Amino acid sequence: MRALYTAATGMVAQELNVQVISNNIANMQTTGYKKQRAEFSDLMYQSLRRVGANTSDQGTRLPVGLDIGAGVKTTGTPRVMTQGNILPTGKELDTAIRGEGFFRVLMPDSRTAYTRAGSFEMDDQGRLVTPEGYLIDPAITFPQNATNISINQTGEVSALVPGQTQNTVLGQLQLARFVNKTGLQAIGDNLYLETDASGTPQINNPGTDGMGTLLQNQLEASNVSAVTEISDLITAQRAYSMNAKVVSAADDMLQTTVQMLR
Amino acid sequence: MQNALYVGLSRQIALHREMDVIANNLANMDTNGFKSDGVTFEEYLSTKARINNAAPGDQRVSFVRESGSITDFSQGTLQQSGGALDLAIRGDGFFVVDTPQGERYTRNGSFTLNEKGELVNQQGYRVRGQNGPLQFDQQDNSITFAREGTITAINGNQNQVIERGKIRMVRFDNQNALVREGNGLYSAGGQTPQNVKETTSVTQGTLEKSNVNPIIEMSRMMEVMRAYQSLSNMMTKADDLRKTAIEKLAETS
Repeated sequence: MRALYTAATGMVAQELNVQVISNNIANMQTTGYKKQRAEFSDLMYQSLRRVGANTSDQGTRLPVGLDIGAGVKTTGTPRVMTQGNILPTGKELDTAIRGEGFFRVLMPDSRTAYTRAGSFEMDDQGRLVTPEGYLIDPAITFPQNATNISINQTGEVSALVPGQTQNTVLGQLQLARFVNKTGLQAIGDNLYLETDASGTPQINNPGTDGMGTLLQNQLEASNVSAVTEISDLITAQRAYSMNAKVVSAADDMLQTTVQMLR
Repeated sequence: MQNALYVGLSRQIALHREMDVIANNLANMDTNGFKSDGVTFEEYLSTKARINNAAPGDQRVSFVRESGSITDFSQGTLQQSGGALDLAIRGDGFFVVDTPQGERYTRNGSFTLNEKGELVNQQGYRVRGQNGPLQFDQQDNSITFAREGTITAINGNQNQVIERGKIRMVRFDNQNALVREGNGLYSAGGQTPQNVKETTSVTQGTLEKSNVNPIIEMSRMMEVMRAYQSLSNMMTKADDLRKTAIEKLAETS
């Protein structure tokens, strides 16, 4: 009874769908989070009668075939890389990207990671770091007692150093962009790694060559929409129970067959 | 007398097939671009088995067998997904992708870019434009698909709009002759793809969901289940009849 296995593939797929949706909902308030979507496609078909096969020597052909599908499979969980809402936070090191691009982060294992979450902090040496303490690349160091920190739209970082009357330029933030940003690999902590599918990063100053611009005192919220996720969750749940019903109906038919034997 | 059992059996096998098709439809309820299937049945007249004692003397026994699966190519619902490279076709038509086996056709417009900036589907197969694959520059922003499939983008910080080709959409005279290959792909099955009609359009930022109607599938499923049970009932009755006949006729004192 193939229907049993077909329905089982449907249940497995919907279970994964619920996992993806629940992760989206869990990360609704995560800065810079990009939602994922489960993508399904149909499995192969068994052709019991092949369409176009000859039905006689006179050249008459089967107008329709008899193909029985074997269920569903998950092709992937691509990320929807749309812009999230920009929320003001009032914290002077919070930086949001409006448009394309990722900040570059130097990982402790000397790999470069990429992130959209611009909730930066300062470490004990005055360097600009992520909340995990990873250095931002290119490095920016603030002198002690620096006040009035300003990050402008094109990524220039400046601050008022004691003894000066005007802001001193401390460095330049840069952004990286990928031809296929959906191909980046998420490693948690809001970080992404370059892959063969993403292509190589193109690094430039914000605001040049199609790169996004920076907004100080703001953060990019996740792009998860609660309404969409909840309605997707309801659909997934119903789809799961319908597939479960198919299993019990197929089981019922088998039981009927067994009962014919007396 | 045996015939009743075999007629019943032929229907039971057919019902099994129908159940398989329903299970596949329901399993693919959330598959983008999926088109639901139905099974058609035909009467099969036996040349040998006859009902000799029925009123018009020479009546042949008819069995049932499945004759084909018909795909319902009607439009699926369009769901807003927000992705710039999510496309849905309104009306008749298919996107064309280049697979290692040649051109294949699909309704699933959930596309992405590869590392070279080419438009590919979720299996990584290149999507065809009117003139070969569609490629974008690394600095392209605001990619826009017009309703006819013409693609434009803004390169870098320049203000003018650059055309990046036109996505190819084709239609077939007989959609039911298309061969399903899984992964949402169809092969032409010997037909030549035609240009789409003017009424066919592409919508950006939306995906076409499957056109499976779960309520209809569930009722079909119950119908199949009950038909199967009543057949099994009938077959049990036929068996009883035979048993009684043997017992009565061959009564030994």
